[in-house]
Amino acid sequence: MRIKLTSIMVDDQSKALRFYTDVLGFKKKHDVPVGEFRWITVISPDGPEDLELALEPNANPAGRTFQEAMFSQGIPIAAFEVTDIAREFSQLSARGVVFTRQPTQAGPVTLAVFSDTCGNLIQLYQPAGQAV
Amino acid sequence: MLLRHEGFRSLCLARDLLRHVREPSPSVADVARQVGISPFHFIRQFEAVFGVTPHQFRIQVRLDAAKRLLANGHSVTDVCMEVGCSSLGTFSALFTRRVGESPSAYQRRVVELSRLGGSAPNGLAPGCLSLMNSLTVGSNRSFREA
Repeated sequence: MRIKLTSIMVDDQSKALRFYTDVLGFKKKHDVPVGEFRWITVISPDGPEDLELALEPNANPAGRTFQEAMFSQGIPIAAFEVTDIAREFSQLSARGVVFTRQPTQAGPVTLAVFSDTCGNLIQLYQPAGQAV
Repeated sequence: MLLRHEGFRSLCLARDLLRHVREPSPSVADVARQVGISPFHFIRQFEAVFGVTPHQFRIQVRLDAAKRLLANGHSVTDVCMEVGCSSLGTFSALFTRRVGESPSAYQRRVVELSRLGGSAPNGLAPGCLSLMNSLTVGSNRSFREA
């Protein structure tokens, strides 16, 4: 048993694919039409190639209620590791990304939180001791 | 852009207010006023955070509500009224433009889907990873090779 795939609910798959590739810089791996939705996954250009994030349609009202509640409470739904959080913060801000928390030291990591424009808050973290 | 706690709370509240589809529903300017942000900044910030303008968001909410009601067998006229559209023509045109088929065609298709499935139309509200069920053999192969 291996962890190779995880998913995130998005309110609009086309918008999500644009944001996760054009703005965040992930690479599209799969984009397969399934009924009125699509099976879309992205991977990080920094690897590994076989670890995928699925952008799942949030069409289920129960899922939407959950997603909106987590968002309104300010709770991130996923976290991505970065090596230079200050640089990510300034680059993403320049691309119009809205942060709800600027890079902040929190114990062994530095954290920042932004909105993915698809209904989620995403946390970036830089482990202590990583090169800057 | 860094959004402070209070600004973030205001936008979340605005999103809740924009969900009210039944008339009388507040205008975008009303909502901006209620959450204490100027209309100009409200529209700009809302779009930066949620990826759509408040107006687009409200249209999407109405269409989603319309789809649910149509799937449950309500008449097109009832659905139109229920989601706060006063004109049947405007509603049908908007629905067709955004959804890709007319409200009645959508309803026929969905009702048929749910009849075949024998339960709620799963394809309409997939748990996402369940989409993997529907991938073809070809796309599964590309999974392995990828």
